[in-house]
Amino acid sequence: MRERITSAARGNTDLVGLLVLLLAVLVAYQHYDSSLLSPASVTILSAQFLPLILAAAGQTTVMLLGGIDLSLGAVLGLAMAVFATYDAHSAGGVVTAVVAALCAAVAAGAANGTLVAYAGLPPIVVTLAASFLWSGVTLIVLPQPGGHVPGGLVNAYNNGWNGLAVPALAITLVLAAWKVLRTTRHGLALYAVGGNEHGAYASGLHTRGTKIAGYALAGAFTGLAGIGLAVQTGSADPTIGTPYTLNSIAACVLGGISFFGGVGRMRGTVLGALVIGLLTNLLLFTGISPFYQLIVQGVILVVALALKTYLTREAAV
Amino acid sequence: MNAGSVRGAVAVAASLCALAGISACDVQSDSSTAKSGSSASPAAAKDLKVGWSTIYLTPSWMQQTLKMMEGDVTKLKSAGKVSSFKTLNANGDTSQQIAQIRAMIQQKYDVIIVDAGSSTALNPALEQAVAAGITVVAFDSLPTSTKVIRVGTDQKAWGSMMATWLADKLKGKGTVIAMNGPAGVAVSEDRWAGAAAVFKKYPDIKIVSNVHSEYNLAPAAQAFASAYSAHPDIDGVFSQGGALSAAALQTLVKQDKKLVPVTGENYNGFLKMWRSHQKAGFSSIATAQPNYLAVIALEAAVAKREGVSVPQDITVPLPEITDKNLADYVKPDQPDDSYPINDLPQSEIDKLIGK
Repeated sequence: MRERITSAARGNTDLVGLLVLLLAVLVAYQHYDSSLLSPASVTILSAQFLPLILAAAGQTTVMLLGGIDLSLGAVLGLAMAVFATYDAHSAGGVVTAVVAALCAAVAAGAANGTLVAYAGLPPIVVTLAASFLWSGVTLIVLPQPGGHVPGGLVNAYNNGWNGLAVPALAITLVLAAWKVLRTTRHGLALYAVGGNEHGAYASGLHTRGTKIAGYALAGAFTGLAGIGLAVQTGSADPTIGTPYTLNSIAACVLGGISFFGGVGRMRGTVLGALVIGLLTNLLLFTGISPFYQLIVQGVILVVALALKTYLTREAAV
Repeated sequence: MNAGSVRGAVAVAASLCALAGISACDVQSDSSTAKSGSSASPAAAKDLKVGWSTIYLTPSWMQQTLKMMEGDVTKLKSAGKVSSFKTLNANGDTSQQIAQIRAMIQQKYDVIIVDAGSSTALNPALEQAVAAGITVVAFDSLPTSTKVIRVGTDQKAWGSMMATWLADKLKGKGTVIAMNGPAGVAVSEDRWAGAAAVFKKYPDIKIVSNVHSEYNLAPAAQAFASAYSAHPDIDGVFSQGGALSAAALQTLVKQDKKLVPVTGENYNGFLKMWRSHQKAGFSSIATAQPNYLAVIALEAAVAKREGVSVPQDITVPLPEITDKNLADYVKPDQPDDSYPINDLPQSEIDKLIGK
């Protein structure tokens, strides 16, 4: 039994480390907010973290393919704007709005994927250009903060629906979908192409198709994040998405997703996003000067990453 | 000791450090929260726990605002009205500002002052705070929610004040470059809406270029330079921010071009340049987003807790800086990146907050 636990821990050293960090943050959090484990707090916190977790899931998909998505924040803003400007009272209501927003985000993702796969351009260049493109389109859709999300939906999302934490449920569903997808041919192809593109091509995989599908999937996650943010805030804001680009990358890196593709797991990303989110809140509670909060945040990120790299190098030794 | 066990030791030590470090914070917090265990009785505004959540703290305008607010806090503390004051900086991230407000609700603040990062995104969180019995007052960059007290200036009036002066100066005829703030930001859109309404009445005034830029000297200078190289024969510049105006005037001076009228703001760098080129015939008008908005917001919150019926919307009149009274405002000994404005007398504040 003991051996099984240690061997499981050895394979997941980075995740165990992250869990310890998360636990430490949670213990501290409990001190400041004793209602942490109450259903109300779980709802509030999951409502707050859902956009970041989903955005990080999108970033993970792209990073597994060996890319990086600098347009994530812009696409998130676009999905949010499309969702909130669609008049929920007309035909189809919220469902149509969700579909429209997701279509926009998936199309944006697929466009990135196509350029990366067929034009052979570096992902960083393609997505940087795309970030300008989509923030421009977002401003056309929604020139200034506004839009409308049905009040009932906002309330259910932020305060729970019949005692159910809707955002937590949404995150669980998305993760379950990812878990299923990972075991399919497409999911495996994603890892294969990201890890060794030539090898994957030589073994008969349609590497370009896989890339396009992967970027489109990232678009879907980003779109869901944008919808989540719109429902959380009850409106849309064309410029609110920007910080998500870097925060999602931070969550991925902390969660153990490799910059070189093919390595990493979604649960790592989720833990990474949770640590970043909770840490920010925790620093607010401690009430230290805002400037020191930034320093502490940066130091913790670097130390966590350095430790993780050090501890997981055993495979190479 | 082999490499593996060294690693194990490091891992254990690191996790212990993390736990110890964070629990050390707790001890501190316990003692501080025990002191400020204030009871929130709305009628007597005693020992209020006040928090200020701002979207940015780094710009000099915010730093000056913080200083002015802290000055007022000291006064209120010695009067026994405020027990603690904390500043929270969202560092440009609206989602983080939402988190701050929720954290303040959980920590049972009595008063939340807000400088909002988004005019819509904070509404649900702020309304939740109001529902929890917290007095919420927003100033400067305002949310659209009607449940919070809002202290601000009329941004549309700002735009139309600048545009009217410029149209008069040009005698209703000429070409103009417009310098606006970042696209999609409510303040910038509102100021431009006010200006556009005025320009509409003058069909002979042509806006040849509508530039969007950060309210920051370096990006604004770049943006103006490219617009100006495309249209070097303009008759005036409509600018809706001090750094934007300074960037435009600086370009004209550097390139030794005709000093056409440029509208401005009480940004000291611009005021200094205006003053020194006044003899060469440069003329301008400027207004201000006064730093004392923060003080009015704080005073309004305290008054509300004392039972004063504070109006929901407090619109503070825009100051007007002209060629004539420029000398009263410009501070030659202060850095460019400061906003010279004097305190508002207490009597004026009391009038505004309905005392």
